Amino acid sequence: MGRTSAKGRHNGVRAARTASGITQAELAGAVGVTRQTVVAVEAGDYAPSVYLALAIARRLGGTVEALFGEASEADRPGSGNEMGAGL
Amino acid sequence: MNAHEDDGTSRRGGWFEAAAGVVGDLDHPFYAEERQRDVWNEACAVGFQLVLWLALAAATAMVWLGGAEALPYMTTVLVVEGVAATVTVLYAQRLGVRIDDAGGLLRLRLVPYGALLVALFVGVVRVAPSDGFAGGFVQGMVAGSAAAVLWMLYSGVRARRRQRLGEV
Repeated sequence: MGRTSAKGRHNGVRAARTASGITQAELAGAVGVTRQTVVAVEAGDYAPSVYLALAIARRLGGTVEALFGEASEADRPGSGNEMGAGL
Repeated sequence: MNAHEDDGTSRRGGWFEAAAGVVGDLDHPFYAEERQRDVWNEACAVGFQLVLWLALAAATAMVWLGGAEALPYMTTVLVVEGVAATVTVLYAQRLGVRIDDAGGLLRLRLVPYGALLVALFVGVVRVAPSDGFAGGFVQGMVAGSAAAVLWMLYSGVRARRRQRLGEV
């Protein structure tokens, strides 16, 4: 698939951001993107570049693996495991 | 569209890339935001494909509605389309992304495009003068284009066959 979409892949960005107590706009400003991009990343509609993923992880105090790795898919809301333990 | 990356021979510092950057306004701050850039790139791909279709449809309509008098205008439209397509492919190629998968050309979505091409060729042959420089030029253009299309189809079929054999 050639689109920018992450095709419904879940990640732990929203949970980690909520746990950090910052808004989408604040996270967007901190990593240098628009709020719409943060919304799209959280919804799994956009797969960020490695540099943006690193910046997001750094700002949220975690790792890219914890946010976007397979564990984050298992930790999505409703799966029984809550995100944030690795952050 | 199928493509594969080259073996690391991409170039960014040449005059062609610099000129293309100016034409595309690629240094605009808009491109610094990666999702904006990616979505805009997708939008441009859609627009480019649409222009390819519309230009061919317009050229075909010209020759069928305007007759022989429309041949210079039809040629102009096709040349403009060809230049834009060539620059697009060259730019990608210079940066190490080659679009030379002949097997990937054979797709059902191109059937209407092929039908338009046939309608264009038939229309040109129908209205073109049968002799003189203009007649010879048009006949040569149609024959050359038809040969190129047939060669692409043949290459596509061969590539598909090779791919299938490789998969077995």
